[in-house]
Amino acid sequence: MLTEVLQGSDSGGIVIIRDTSSYSGRDLLKYCINCALKREEDVHVLGFEVPEQELRSELDSNNKHLFHFHNAYSDPLGWRKQSSFTVEQFSAENITRLVRETKHAKASVLVIDSLSWIERHHNPVAICQQLHKLKKGGAIRTICCLLHMDLHQQGIVESICHLANTVITVTAVNNALYAEAKTTHRKKSGKVMQEEEFFTVMENLSLSIEKRPSQSGHAQVHSDAKVDPASNLTFNLRLSEVEREAKEKVALPFVFSQEKKSALLKKGQGSGRIIYEPDANDDFDEEDPDDDLDI
Amino acid sequence: MFPELNSILSSSPENFTEGEFILLSDRQADASFLIHHYLTFYLRARCRVCFLGLVQSFSHYSVVSQRLGVNLTQAKEKGQLVFLEALKASPGVLLGDESSDKTAALDYLRSPCPELRGLYEFVWNSLSRAGGEDAAESWGPPVLIIDDLSVLLSLGVSAGAILDFTHYCQATICSQLQGSMIALVRCDDEEYDEDEESSNYLLKALSHQCSLSLRVEGLSTGYCRDIHGQVEIWWRGRGIKNQRKIFQYKVHDKGASFFAPGTSRAVL
Repeated sequence: MLTEVLQGSDSGGIVIIRDTSSYSGRDLLKYCINCALKREEDVHVLGFEVPEQELRSELDSNNKHLFHFHNAYSDPLGWRKQSSFTVEQFSAENITRLVRETKHAKASVLVIDSLSWIERHHNPVAICQQLHKLKKGGAIRTICCLLHMDLHQQGIVESICHLANTVITVTAVNNALYAEAKTTHRKKSGKVMQEEEFFTVMENLSLSIEKRPSQSGHAQVHSDAKVDPASNLTFNLRLSEVEREAKEKVALPFVFSQEKKSALLKKGQGSGRIIYEPDANDDFDEEDPDDDLDI
Repeated sequence: MFPELNSILSSSPENFTEGEFILLSDRQADASFLIHHYLTFYLRARCRVCFLGLVQSFSHYSVVSQRLGVNLTQAKEKGQLVFLEALKASPGVLLGDESSDKTAALDYLRSPCPELRGLYEFVWNSLSRAGGEDAAESWGPPVLIIDDLSVLLSLGVSAGAILDFTHYCQATICSQLQGSMIALVRCDDEEYDEDEESSNYLLKALSHQCSLSLRVEGLSTGYCRDIHGQVEIWWRGRGIKNQRKIFQYKVHDKGASFFAPGTSRAVL
């Protein structure tokens, strides 16, 4: 489902890639950009976190002219007076204007790297409002954002993701080259689909998906044939037929069979009679206390 | 600089990666030995170094560097090292004394001043001049070393302002000037809640941006005379280049030794 959602030409809407410091979602973001370029759509990137060269490298060379990087990395706050795009300019109107300035291809895709950077300078409510306006605006068909979940309170992450049609959460898998992606996709019909997949983004920005991780590290050998423990020994543990029958016939010591019961209930021959002379202090009762037992 | 650490990181003063953002952090241990390593490393590599000494005086680093074979006073005189002695200059700024170009750098002490723009301008001015007056000496790529960032949190600067400052430093020094940046963040185990103004938050945010992270921790079993702690080295890259390794270390008088866990000479 990860591939369909990111390559999706039908969906549109907002896609949010959530990551943590242990695994960066930027590779997946680059894959998303590459897919949009292959679909011949205009891609506008608001780049706050990494410089242009880092995002532009490895992209599909055929449609590189459709890739527009709005540099918010070198001077996002105007400190150096050479800013191209500042964080203050993050608003639906400004972005729509920027997008309309460039010639239209089929449709426009807006990529935000990252929402976490913007959240440091804007109210989360304002961000949600602007994103909503952009979604409804019509100038942009798809908005693809990167969000670092571990840098915000859970409430903020959830409210921003609530706007999205698709939320992809990427986490690292212990010491593995691949990572895990949990995708939640909300279709236009309202149906919500979820899937967990394992993926790697290769050098040429192609996505390799595995449904289940291959257990290359610890090979669990499930032997189908049961191993016979009595084989390959220097002594014999097996039984012959005669021995087996004799074994079945042996009466087990604590099984209460009929013979044992009658042997116990038979009175002894008198060799073991007990003669008891009661003391003055003894309370000797002639009655048998077990008289009422019915064996 | 520590030769053993150089071989672990596969770098040497003659051959090191440019444009790196190295994040040093510690928890219940002291990672300042790594600061001394990087200071002497880059001075040996003939780079122009801007050192923001926010927690110790110049003489402290000078004495330690002497033991590691580098003369800081000489480097400062030659113009290779620009040292911001924040401790010495702070009382002047706080008491509103005479203004020099250094006090603009310490603007953050004058509350309410939410941004570290002054500090950034100081860094930019120190490192952007290639050679400057002394054109005979051409230095290597610029390097910024910050010791340390968490003290700024204690001084009232917000985590967001610190992150803006490190962003600008990284954008200009690492990306534009192809230099390197080393920052130390000291964490406390007690602030483990999800506070957005804590060192833990700063550490997480900077981890996203850095290219190499060295985390120093004390041993979980407590103090040991022969093993001072462990360092987790995390090369942040994509795919195979993303690697984490753990080493234990011991700090000596003239250096530090690093070894795989469990292989300390005292134990074997």
